[in-house]
Amino acid sequence: MSLLTQILPPANIFLDMDVGSKKRVFEQIGIVFENSHGIARSVIFDSLFAREKLGSTGLGQGVAIPHGRIKGLKDATGAFVRLREPIPYDAPDGKPVNLIFVLLVPANATDLHLQILSELAQLFSDKRLREELAAASEPAEAWKLISLWEPYSGEAV
Amino acid sequence: MSRILILGAGRVGSSVAEQLVLEKYDVTIVDSNPALLKPLADRLDLRTIVGDAGSPATLTAAGAADCDLLLAVTPSDEANMVACKVAHELFNVPTRLARIRKQDYLGHPGLFNSGNFAIDHVITPAQIVTDYLVSLIETPEALQVLEFGAGNAVMVAVRIETGAPVDGKSLSDLKVLLPKSECRVVSIYRKNRRIRPDGDSVLHVGDEVFFLAAKRDIRKVLHEFRAEDRAIRRITIAGGGNVGYRLARAIERDYQVKLIESNRERANWLAEALPSTLVLCGEATDENLLDTEQIERCDLFLALTSDDEDNIMSALLAKQMGTGKTIAIINRSSYVDLLQGGRIDVALSPAQATIGSLLAHVRQGDIVAVHSLRRGAAEAIELVIHGTRDTSRVIGRRVEELKLPSGADLAALIRGNEVLMAHHDTVLQADDHVIIFIDNKTHIREVEKLFAVKVGFL
Repeated sequence: MSLLTQILPPANIFLDMDVGSKKRVFEQIGIVFENSHGIARSVIFDSLFAREKLGSTGLGQGVAIPHGRIKGLKDATGAFVRLREPIPYDAPDGKPVNLIFVLLVPANATDLHLQILSELAQLFSDKRLREELAAASEPAEAWKLISLWEPYSGEAV
Repeated sequence: MSRILILGAGRVGSSVAEQLVLEKYDVTIVDSNPALLKPLADRLDLRTIVGDAGSPATLTAAGAADCDLLLAVTPSDEANMVACKVAHELFNVPTRLARIRKQDYLGHPGLFNSGNFAIDHVITPAQIVTDYLVSLIETPEALQVLEFGAGNAVMVAVRIETGAPVDGKSLSDLKVLLPKSECRVVSIYRKNRRIRPDGDSVLHVGDEVFFLAAKRDIRKVLHEFRAEDRAIRRITIAGGGNVGYRLARAIERDYQVKLIESNRERANWLAEALPSTLVLCGEATDENLLDTEQIERCDLFLALTSDDEDNIMSALLAKQMGTGKTIAIINRSSYVDLLQGGRIDVALSPAQATIGSLLAHVRQGDIVAVHSLRRGAAEAIELVIHGTRDTSRVIGRRVEELKLPSGADLAALIRGNEVLMAHHDTVLQADDHVIIFIDNKTHIREVEKLFAVKVGFL
């Protein structure tokens, strides 16, 4: 079982979110985790932005993995967002982004968290998976695609 | 791509906008005066919105809800403060910077915290310009003095004059002249063209040289670059505005300071506020006044009024009458180019001096300082590098391995309290502060990307 199953609650899949900027995505995500974890939305928002200031989390091919360390968070958690329209994201290939996986980890991040991050990067470099995520019509379908994905099983770009 | 919203299209606002557009940011600029926006819209790829800075309707139209950073630089402190508050409360703009001029507000920094006016970074041009002038008074040989690493390292711009020990010497000779001090010549400008320094570069009279050294070595190094300068003891300041007052207050204990102010009421106030400064009420462009005050015995004359023409005239007059060195605040950049290095020794543009502090917050990376050089044509940046060998493109690499764009040079790094000149085999470590000289500002984004952490950095 991939590490990703454990960190992605089925409720945290948002398909065709209609927002036009990175900032709005981070705001929405802040609200999601404020509700589920009781962490102030501004803490999440600021942490994601602070990480972005050090270097873009755009992966290329329309994907971004914004992430942040959150004080008071016990276990890593995540959310997947598919945007209705791609947004500018300062990705290495310059392409706008429409698939976003937000990863939040505890303030004292460990190797496990680095491993999750690297697994996410691998998952999204799988072209077929990206296409399937783009085509998924139900959140449950997208959740399954991410959760059941096996490391190294897909073909890289 | 970051979206930047600039409020106020004055000198600072429009210069920052121009620079950010050049760096491919998505820029929107707001001003209540369409005449200020028109030339920007004609020339640059940005959005302009006519309206009041603090108005929710204007901010909505300007896309505040989607912007990453707000820069409030209208002429009004109050408008800038309200704009930051509104941007925070209604639009949740993540980072808010404002220019605040009035000491009345600055004296109460609690006003700016997130519960109040919600300004993340307050920029005060008068203080920036004052610090710049103080550094020029402490290092009178320099055209510009920039501090890095909390003052441990200093970059100095000097013009080589007749009689300077380094005239006609190569940079390898310089190492012989200065065996013990570590000094790095970062750039040489000859007739406004850059010469990338190497060991064979020969310095000539008239060259403008930027060098970097540890602060404790600066005097020794300057000694080689300049023939003896007239020591500074007597200073005359023309203009008792924000900058003139702050400067007099900063230096009055260490120098003999005279301050000329034309407004009688202000002059009385200054005389009260500055116990060791001789405040004179009069016009600095008045030859008779300068003559009576024995301007020929003055070592340094600073023209700091808000009027370019007055500053130019009084500085020229003072020089003509025998003052040692002259410094003038000149806002119009075309005047700066015309005058610096001629009969006015240093022409200082407050907008240029201020822009760096704004850019430091806008750019990607853990940027400590950005300094504009050569009237904005070049730049020196100090940034902290983060990550590991895997999540950084620079950590664990030798300087010679770095893929720096042309026109960008890593001059030195600061590790802890130690200033290390960058050699080809210096290996970068996490948390090093690196000092980078960038001659060609179109490459800034590449430099940023090189030093940014990779996606895998947690």
